[in-house]
Amino acid sequence: MRWYALAIYVFLYLPIVLIVFFSFNSGRYAMDWQGFSFQWYGRAFANRFAMQALATSLEVGLWTAALSTVIGTLTAIGLERTRGWPRRLFDGLIYVAIMVPGVVIGIATLIAFVTLFGALNPLLAHLFGPDGPQLAMGRATVVGAHVLFNLAVVTLIVRARLAGLDRSLIEASEDLYATPLGTFRQVVLPLLTPAILAGFLLSFTFSFEDFIIAFFVAGPNNTLPIYIFSSIRRGITPEINAIGTVVLIVSLTLLITAQFLLRSRDRAVAGKG
Amino acid sequence: MTAAAGTRDEGRGGGRATTALLLAPASAFFLLLLLLPLAVVIVYSFGERAPAGGYLPAFSFDNYLNLAARGQAFLNTLTLAPLGTLLCALVAYPLAYFLAVRASPRIRTLLLVLVIVPFWASQLLRIYAWLLILGSKGIPALLSLVGIEDLLLVNTRFAVLVGMVYGYLPLMIFPIYVSLEKLDKRLLEASSDLGARPWRTFLQVTLPMSLEGVATGSLLVFILLMGEFIIPALLGGGKVFFIGNALVDLFLQSRNWPYGAAVSIALIAIMLASIVTYMRFVLGKRGQRPNAFM
Amino acid sequence: MSRNDPTISRQKFIDELMRWRRGSVTRRHFLGVTGLGLATAVMAQAVPGLKPRRALAADLGDTLNFTTWPNYFDPANLEAFTKQTGVAINVSVFGSNEEMLAKLQAGGTGWDVFVPTNYTISTYKKLDLIDPLDLKRLPNYDPSSQDQRFVKPGTIDGTVYAVPKDWGTTGYVVNTAKVKGEMTSWKQFWDRTRDDLSGRVMVHDYQLTTIGNALKYFGYSFNSIDPKELADAEKLLLDAKPHLFAINSDYQPAMRAGDAWMSVCWTGDGEQLHRDMPEMAYVIGREGGEIWTDFYAIPKSAPHKAAAYAFIDYILTPEVNAREVLAHGYPSTDARTNKLLPAKVLDDPILYPAQELLTNLEFGAAATLTDPNRAELMARFKSA
Repeated sequence: MRWYALAIYVFLYLPIVLIVFFSFNSGRYAMDWQGFSFQWYGRAFANRFAMQALATSLEVGLWTAALSTVIGTLTAIGLERTRGWPRRLFDGLIYVAIMVPGVVIGIATLIAFVTLFGALNPLLAHLFGPDGPQLAMGRATVVGAHVLFNLAVVTLIVRARLAGLDRSLIEASEDLYATPLGTFRQVVLPLLTPAILAGFLLSFTFSFEDFIIAFFVAGPNNTLPIYIFSSIRRGITPEINAIGTVVLIVSLTLLITAQFLLRSRDRAVAGKG
Repeated sequence: MTAAAGTRDEGRGGGRATTALLLAPASAFFLLLLLLPLAVVIVYSFGERAPAGGYLPAFSFDNYLNLAARGQAFLNTLTLAPLGTLLCALVAYPLAYFLAVRASPRIRTLLLVLVIVPFWASQLLRIYAWLLILGSKGIPALLSLVGIEDLLLVNTRFAVLVGMVYGYLPLMIFPIYVSLEKLDKRLLEASSDLGARPWRTFLQVTLPMSLEGVATGSLLVFILLMGEFIIPALLGGGKVFFIGNALVDLFLQSRNWPYGAAVSIALIAIMLASIVTYMRFVLGKRGQRPNAFM
Repeated sequence: MSRNDPTISRQKFIDELMRWRRGSVTRRHFLGVTGLGLATAVMAQAVPGLKPRRALAADLGDTLNFTTWPNYFDPANLEAFTKQTGVAINVSVFGSNEEMLAKLQAGGTGWDVFVPTNYTISTYKKLDLIDPLDLKRLPNYDPSSQDQRFVKPGTIDGTVYAVPKDWGTTGYVVNTAKVKGEMTSWKQFWDRTRDDLSGRVMVHDYQLTTIGNALKYFGYSFNSIDPKELADAEKLLLDAKPHLFAINSDYQPAMRAGDAWMSVCWTGDGEQLHRDMPEMAYVIGREGGEIWTDFYAIPKSAPHKAAAYAFIDYILTPEVNAREVLAHGYPSTDARTNKLLPAKVLDDPILYPAQELLTNLEFGAAATLTDPNRAELMARFKSA
């Protein structure tokens, strides 16, 4: 059993070790070991395109996580108060949102928005003149397309947590004449925190890792996965590995922080209802 | 049943307004970013390919009638995605069991975190690392030391399966872990006190009670594998063709958007049908939902 | 050719470039002596009233979205452009012309300059996706110094829609350390793929060259859309598929790693591979195959047109273009640029294949790009 577990961890970490190892390669191609060097870390940080892509991905990821978490939480609470066909409709929409493959949602969103913007932009130009604001594909559209999937995921996580809540706490609060908002703020919200945090982290990760949706809807902006994908077409450089390593360390830090926060509350993040 | 605040003192109208307000943002997102794009896909699926590629408005069922032209891709996906899901579950279960039942509670959290960490490194870089591991300087080079020569691992179905198991293992481990962790240890003790062999205890007590986690994890992994295209493209060397790859090619290479739209609709329909069937017959209960995402 | 070039001689340019690459001179020194400084001056003249840097930045905007192929530019040139103009260049890299066309057709790209290949330009024009070019805004582009073989597809009905970037051929690269015997034809390519090179050969992941070079096996036209000829090509492709290492246009990593020994290949990739690994040989099939020109063009929807013109004008400045050629390894169409290149490059048989090999090559045709049957054939090949 112990040996099996060890084997799985080796399986999980072998590629990671290679990525980190070859980021210290002094040669031009990542997988062709020439000697030890830190130079690619310096180059990575000096590489404007890579840093720009990283910044775009962070920005998109944070917005996605924030919006998905807030909207997903509101939706989960709203659905607990809903019965009948509206609830079934929402359930259906949530599953379809998770189910539609990224390729399809990427292309469909692109076409829908280009058409929509094409119709709205002349109107905007009419209202604000030729130099006024115009709608275009960009970071906002990536955030929108990412939120769709993640808000569905967050709703499921938070709802699972809501279903497991001890109802007597809420009743007690109401018996003590707390206002509905007060009950929500002081009783419900703290109990939901682990699920909300988990949803935030998960949304950020999905957004940060996504290639295909962003490829279609990002307009001229490159996210980090798009940048990496186009950079490795002619061979991976240690510079790309260095970027990957830095991202890994940052996310590891985030994860450990989150784990610490979650554990201080309740280990079962999204326990069953 | 209600968890949110205050249905008791409020009038029905006020409660409804609050509920509507709570659901409004999600409704807007679903409308603008799910239903509108899906409507585009549906409309396109009845259209025609323009002479230079793209979309030409029309009303015809030709794209649907022609779905068989991507039959092989559907077949590849419908064999490899369930197979990948199954392998994922088989690989994940013992580890989840170890973590939930055997591992010392002190290091359990650490071990769990370690399962998800690789998930946070760039997916593309991890796949390229596998190309190196399976490539001629990797495992085949080691095997040639013991006399197995010229073994080709990259760009095979085997490599694609390895990539799929690797890529989705954490998503399988966590739900199984959650279901096993909830398991009442006293049940296991009772079973062994009654003289049951460990193996029988596992088969008759542990496994049935953890099937819910297996089902949840499998559903999640299956959904994501059905739409996968990067793993077959890179680890399959373009030779293992999933429906996701067919879609990418239809939209980006041959620019037959209407046909691509029809294939998308067919894929979604197949997924819906298989998931509904799965929920009814495997999960037993209708409406039981997969919610152990972490 | 003239040695008393007003700006800098070829030898001097190369010497300075090498010194800069070795790190013995600063970039400022390099830009100064090689005429990149001159390029700035020329551009400042070309865009009237824009001499002061601030004003220049204000009029060109601060961003340029440049869409091109992988390893197809010298990053130092892009940096120099940004230094001079304040316009940051956002580079996107694509895998095929079809992909570029699909994205422009879908819209919302925000691209300012992109690099279409000869056979796509008439389609872009037909779909009204590209702007005619105002040559007055490209003073550094000299039509008379262009090799006329390569310019034509950029001009439609007398209007210039695209100016040439460079040209090249599509042959195949062979790792001669692994593959014995002389390789000269597509017949050998496909026969040995199905024989002793089984599992070691790559073809491109798009229809034009993969189907085109299968057609060449039978001696058909690279551009054929004849159903019977395509059926023959399909039979060959399906027969060869189990023997292929991969179907992927990004063949450099696998060739470098030694996983693949032979691959359909473009000039510059052959050159880049050969530069690092001398055992890599570039072969143009005796039967023919593809010759092509890549162009610079401006999408109709480009949000930064002034910057787009400034960039194209800058990059076509002979001194800048020469550095491009040295970086990407594709031959220039511009005689002024060639004048600055070392003899070693001009005599390189990968960049400049023998005339008898060139005569059999065909330019890709627009009909090939949009033919639905070739697209479906490719899908059958990939999903088989």
